[in-house]
Amino acid sequence: MNQLFPMKQVLGFVFSLLLTTVALAVYFLDMSFAAGMTILLVTAFIQAGLQLVVFMHAGETKDKGAIYTNVFYGLIIALVTVFGTLLAMIWDM
Amino acid sequence: MKIDNSLPLEYSTEENSLKILGFWIFLGAEIMLFATLFATYFTLENRTGSGPTGAEIFQITPVLFETLLLLTSSFTVGLGIHAMRIGNKKAMISFFSITLLLGLAFLGVEVFEFVTYVHEGATLQTSAFTAALLTTLGTHGAHVTLGFFWGLFIILQVKKRGLTPQTTNKAFIFSLYWHFLDVVWIFIFSFIYLKGMM
Repeated sequence: MNQLFPMKQVLGFVFSLLLTTVALAVYFLDMSFAAGMTILLVTAFIQAGLQLVVFMHAGETKDKGAIYTNVFYGLIIALVTVFGTLLAMIWDM
Repeated sequence: MKIDNSLPLEYSTEENSLKILGFWIFLGAEIMLFATLFATYFTLENRTGSGPTGAEIFQITPVLFETLLLLTSSFTVGLGIHAMRIGNKKAMISFFSITLLLGLAFLGVEVFEFVTYVHEGATLQTSAFTAALLTTLGTHGAHVTLGFFWGLFIILQVKKRGLTPQTTNKAFIFSLYWHFLDVVWIFIFSFIYLKGMM
């Protein structure tokens, strides 16, 4: 039975539940917008990285370099899209 | 077909490795797709017109259920892939079935949530905010729905053909898709719901 529940994945799951609980603090505790957003940004990106490495086996084979390059490329485009839009449409810069 | 036995079955041929890499490239494009939806949502989230605001319609209970269901399903599909790698077909099918049941439960909660929104007067046509919100949530929900049927067919095929380089490759690619949907949900959970209720 034990071999069906590898330690790495069980710990990954426990850690992701923990990150969710930390993120929930912004709802249950009273804090400033900046503090709340900082917590959310940190927990969300750690959580995403955890999925990528622990569960999606991103760094397992010789394609590791190509896979990470592609993910970071997607991520950069995503961040430029989101923050570029915020800059132009919301922050009025 | 050259089979490399030092690698897990789903990577064992050159074609298999290329299919997995190709799927990662697709996921890169999906990241960008959801980025455009988030950019639109952040631009329009305060344009509520005469409709309700996020703080008025978001409820923590269904959102928590959705998050736990999807997080757990991401864990069980990971266990399914682990079982597949040690050659335990029965355990793999069980874990994949649990994953799909959790996915179905997630969709149930989301449909309930959408019905509640419509009853509270937040439809796709109410305001720029509700349109951007429902489009973003709906695109994710549509992905989960597609994933449900995809996973169902994977289970049927593994049942019928066993663990071969082809079926394990398909199952592994499905698991990548499912984990990715969980990643997107984490961002929806953090930057749409929690931010909106803060």
